[in-house]
Amino acid sequence: MERLEPRSGMRSRERKRLFIGLLFLSPWIFGFLVFQLYPIITSLYYSFTEYNLFTSPQWVGLDNYADMAQDGKMLSSLYNTAFMALFGFFPQLAYALGIALLLNQSVKGLSLYRTIYFLPTLVPAVAGSLLWIWLLNAQYGLVNQMLGAIGLPEPNWLMDENWTKPSLILMGFWGTGTITIMYLAALQEVPRMYYEAASIDGANKWHKFWHITLPAISPMTFFQLIMGLIGSFQYFSQGYVFAESSNQAIGGPGNSILFYAIYLFQNAFMFLKMGYASAMAWILFVIVLLLTLLIFKTSSRWVFYGGEK
Amino acid sequence: MKRHYRKKTFHVMLLLLLAFTTVLSACSGAGGTAGKPGEGGKVEIQLWSSATAENAKPIENAIAKFNESQDDIVVKTLSNQDHQKQLTAISGGSAPDIIVTQWNNIGPWSAAGAVQSLEEFIKRDGYDTSQIIPAALDRMKVNHEIFGLPISMSMANKLFYNKQAFEEAGLTAPPETLEELFAYAKKLTKKDAKGNITQMGFIPDYPWIDNVFWPIIFNGSWDDGSGKLTANQEANVKAIDYQMNYYREFGQESIDKFKSGMGGLETPQDPILTGKLSMIIGWENWYVEHRGEDKEVGVAPFPYPAANPELKGSGMVSPIAMFIPSKAKHQDEAWKVMQYLLGEDVQIEYSIEFGSIPVLTKALDNPKLTENQEVKELWDYYESAKNPNLKGFPNSIYINEYLQTLNEETEKALKGQITAQEAMDNVVNKMQPIADKK
Repeated sequence: MERLEPRSGMRSRERKRLFIGLLFLSPWIFGFLVFQLYPIITSLYYSFTEYNLFTSPQWVGLDNYADMAQDGKMLSSLYNTAFMALFGFFPQLAYALGIALLLNQSVKGLSLYRTIYFLPTLVPAVAGSLLWIWLLNAQYGLVNQMLGAIGLPEPNWLMDENWTKPSLILMGFWGTGTITIMYLAALQEVPRMYYEAASIDGANKWHKFWHITLPAISPMTFFQLIMGLIGSFQYFSQGYVFAESSNQAIGGPGNSILFYAIYLFQNAFMFLKMGYASAMAWILFVIVLLLTLLIFKTSSRWVFYGGEK
Repeated sequence: MKRHYRKKTFHVMLLLLLAFTTVLSACSGAGGTAGKPGEGGKVEIQLWSSATAENAKPIENAIAKFNESQDDIVVKTLSNQDHQKQLTAISGGSAPDIIVTQWNNIGPWSAAGAVQSLEEFIKRDGYDTSQIIPAALDRMKVNHEIFGLPISMSMANKLFYNKQAFEEAGLTAPPETLEELFAYAKKLTKKDAKGNITQMGFIPDYPWIDNVFWPIIFNGSWDDGSGKLTANQEANVKAIDYQMNYYREFGQESIDKFKSGMGGLETPQDPILTGKLSMIIGWENWYVEHRGEDKEVGVAPFPYPAANPELKGSGMVSPIAMFIPSKAKHQDEAWKVMQYLLGEDVQIEYSIEFGSIPVLTKALDNPKLTENQEVKELWDYYESAKNPNLKGFPNSIYINEYLQTLNEETEKALKGQITAQEAMDNVVNKMQPIADKK
C-alpha cells in the first residue's frame, strides 16, 4: 500500500481516480439522491402540513408535532418500542455474547453447535413469527406444555396484553445468531498473550473476562449497540405478523404491540395522515440520532481499540 | 489531456443519467393507462381489481364478455392491484379508468378528491339507482353523494351452528332471540376437571371484534347523517354490553385461553367443524361446502333482541365497490362498463362465480338463482337480502380511523377495563373533532 502524501491539493492522478470512483458510485449516488434524499427532505416539509396524498398539502406549522404530545397512542407506541429496546435488545445482546463465549470453547462438534445457533437467523421474519405463534399457543403450544410440565403458570402469550411483548422478546432471542457470530469473530481476535500474561499474574476466569475479553471486544459491542438500537426503533414485521395472524387489529391486544413504526404505518397508509406520519418519522429520527450520539459520546470511556495507547 | 479526460467522464456520466431516466420513465409508463385507441379505432381502458388468482376470474370473465358484446371499448383488466398500489396509482398521474376495491376505500379516497362523483352520470343518463339493494348502495355514498357502485356484496345475517353439538345438548331448534342465544351458549359450554373450557357455545367477538355487525343487530348507528356521531347512543352501548355478558359469564381469561387454542377458520382444525365452538356469525361465503340438509353446519336467521321483534332479519352488508378515479382519462367509457356490470344477467353470473350476493334487487328473484341447484346454499341469503333491516357502516373520510377507534375501545370494554358506555363515549369524544374537521 502506498503512503499518503501530506494533503496539499489533489494531484491530477488522484483527481482522475476520484472521477473513476465517482463514476462507479454514480448509480448509487443517483439512487440515493432521487429515492432517499429527496423523499427525506420532502417528508420534513410534509411534517409541517396536513397531507392526504391527493390534495395539495396544507401548511399547519407545528400542529402535527403539538398533536403528537397529546396523542395517547403515539406515547404508548413509544413506550412499547422503548420496552422492546430496553428489555428485549439488551438482554439479547448479553445472551448473544454468552453463547459466543460458549461457542468459543474448544469442545467436540463445535462447528455443529455454531451452525445450530446460527440457523434460526436464516428464517425470514414473517415465517419465524408464524412458527412462534404456534410455539406460544396458550393451549397447545410447546412452550406452555413445558411450563405446565414443571408446574409453572402458563400465560396466554399472544392474547394477554401483559405477555405479548415478552413473547416477541422471547422470539427475538431465537434470532440472535448474527450477533453471536460477529461476537465470536471478535472473540477470536483477542490476542492469546493477554490471557497468558494474566494467568501468570494469577487472574481467574472472571478477571480475565472482565479485564481482557470485554474491553477487547468493546468495538464490536459498540457496533452492535448502535445497530441494535436503530433496529429496535424500527421494529415492525414481527409485531405486525403477530397481530394480523391472530385476527386482531393492528397493534394487538390492547394496542400492546403497537410499535412506533407500526403506528406510523397506520397513520400514513390506513388513515392517510401523511403529514402526521412524516412528523412521527422525524421525531423517530431525532430520537435515534440522540441515542446514537449519546453512545458515541460515552464510547471513549468504554470502547478500546487494539493498538491504542 | 486532463481536460479531455474530464470531458469524457462528463459525457459518460451524462449518458448514464440518461439511461437511468429512460429506465425510470419506462417504469412509470408500465403502470400507466392512458387509454389509447386500440385495434380498429376502439378505445382501450383499464380496470384494476384487488382480487387475486381465482378470485379475479369472475371479473375477468365478465369483462371478456363485455369486450365481445360491443365494438367501441376494449377493457383490459389487471388483477392483484392491492390497496397500496391503487393508492399510488390514483394519487399519482397514471390512474386506471375503473377500480374494483373494498367499499371502505371510497370514503377516504373520495373525500380527498381522488374519486369521480357519479351524480352527473346518473342524472345525465337517468340511471335508476333504486334497483340496487339500498344497504349496498348506501356504502357508496359519502355525504349523501354517490361515488361508486357496488359490484357484489357479502352479508352477515345468519347464525351457523354445529348440528351435532346441538343434538348432544338436546337442543332441537336454533335460538330465536339474543337471550336464547346466551342461554344456548351456556348449555353448550363445557369445562374439564381443571376448569379449563373445552367447548364453547358462542364467542361474540370470534373470529374478530365486530364493531359493525353487533350495533346493527341492536338497531344502532354511527352518525345521524348530518355529521353528529352517534356511537354512544343506547342501542350501540347495548350491543357492546350484550357481548360483555359472555365475558362476565365465562371469564375473560378462560375465553382467551380457549380462543388461542382454536384452529383457524375453514382449516381442518376449524372450531365450528370440529365442534369446539357451536355457533358463529354466518357470512354467505363461509362453510358453503358444509351447509345444507345432510351437512354438519346448520343455518338460521341471526337472533334478534326479544324486546325488539321488529329487528328480525337484521344484518350487516359489506359490498365490493367499483369507482372511476377522478384522474381517469376515459370516464364515459368507464361509466358504460360499470352499467354493463350491473346488468341483471351479468350480476347473476358474477354472483354465482364469485359465490356472493348480487346487488340488484330484481336478480334476487331470478329463477337462474333461486332455482339453481348449484347455489342452493345461498337461496336463503338471496331471500333475506331483501330485508330492509340490512345495514352497514357509514362511509366517510375518517372511516378507517373511526373503525379502529371503535375496535380499541370495544376491546377495552370486553376485557372489563371500562363499561360499554364509557367505551362508546371515548369513541365519540375522540372522533367527533375529527369528523367536524372534514
